[in-house]
Amino acid sequence: MGEQKEGAQVIVVTSGKGGVGKTTTVANVSTSLAKMGYKIAVMDLDIGLKKLDLILGLENRVIYDIVQLIEGECTLKQALVKDKRFPELSMLPAAQTRNKDEIQPEQVKEICEQMRADFDYIFIDCPAGIEQGFRNAIIAADKAIVVTNPEISAVRDADRIIGMLESAGFTDIMLVVNRIQSEMVKKGDMLSIEDLMEHLCIELLGVVPEDKRVLISTNKGEPIILNEHSIAATAFNNIAARLTGKEIEFPTFEENSFWNKIRNLGRNLFPNK
Amino acid sequence: MLNLLKRLFAGDNNSSRKQANDRLRLVLTHDRTATSAQLMETLKEEIIEVISRHVEIEGNPEVTFINEGRRSALDINIPLKGR
Ligand SMILES: Nc1ncnc2c1ncn2[C@@H]1O[C@H](COP(=O)(O)OP(=O)(O)OP(=O)(O)O)[C@@H](O)[C@H]1O
Ligand SMILES: [Mg+2]
Repeated sequence: MGEQKEGAQVIVVTSGKGGVGKTTTVANVSTSLAKMGYKIAVMDLDIGLKKLDLILGLENRVIYDIVQLIEGECTLKQALVKDKRFPELSMLPAAQTRNKDEIQPEQVKEICEQMRADFDYIFIDCPAGIEQGFRNAIIAADKAIVVTNPEISAVRDADRIIGMLESAGFTDIMLVVNRIQSEMVKKGDMLSIEDLMEHLCIELLGVVPEDKRVLISTNKGEPIILNEHSIAATAFNNIAARLTGKEIEFPTFEENSFWNKIRNLGRNLFPNK
Repeated sequence: MLNLLKRLFAGDNNSSRKQANDRLRLVLTHDRTATSAQLMETLKEEIIEVISRHVEIEGNPEVTFINEGRRSALDINIPLKGR
């Protein structure tokens, strides 16, 4: 880990707690990069509870899955589903009727090594939890993205995961904070980005606001990044750009800062100004 | 002056956000070091016991965690009685 290998960068997207937005992040960051022209593969390792195919809108195109690939029932090429909308994007589907412990870390690693040469980035959609599924998902990765929500139980789990990634030798661990609501932060009812940075102490890769359009795009099987009106789309595009090394400034998160308070006080005192 | 102003505008000190931060600070330290609040009490008692065997302690000894990044250290502050 850490050292750059030939070919694709392998990035695992993980969280500990379930439902915080791993799959949404994988789907959107990968399509965003594919749209930029990078060759992208996404690997769904949430075996038994797969969702990535649905979120990407590729569920009807799935023929084989990763377990069948490992068991030799198909070739890698047959198992990879190509996205017609984004020719640069391929997905390796999870199996729905199997279990996470039916595959071993070494087998995942082998598949990844086979894929490296053909792609620029490989994203691994990790299942929730810290068991076998997590171990399978991190084995082949060079970098990790930890997704969390501004909510104490998600932060606690993120911290546990960061600790486990560090023990596994990861040096490149980046944070994505999903579903932030600046109004609530302002009111003092939600952890802010600064708060999360203070607790977790890892590099910040992205901040994705709460956005109802995420659900709407999930309903349709269209990645949210295709929706120009979505604030979440901008955030995911920024994450993708930052992964390629572009420096994109973070909007100021200092909603609750001293100067804002003064400004707000001014507004309250002189409401008609 | 700035500090006073800051305090004045620091808002509701009992906001749920502040409570979340306080609780997280504690729970993450305990998670990372695999310790509990109870263990801290025991530690404190035993440390004081050992020290007071050799020197006289005065005032309020304190044993707390300090965090630097993702690492924690024990901050032991034991005032000694002077002559
Ligand atoms: N920024 C957002 N705004 C609003 N809703 C969101 C946002 N991000 C994710 N969601 C919603 O949260 C739910 C969970 O998202 P997702 O499936 O990506 O999480 P996950 O971490 O992959 O979950 P699991 O642990 O079950 O795999 C989905 O219904 C999704 O639409
Ligand atoms: Mg998921």
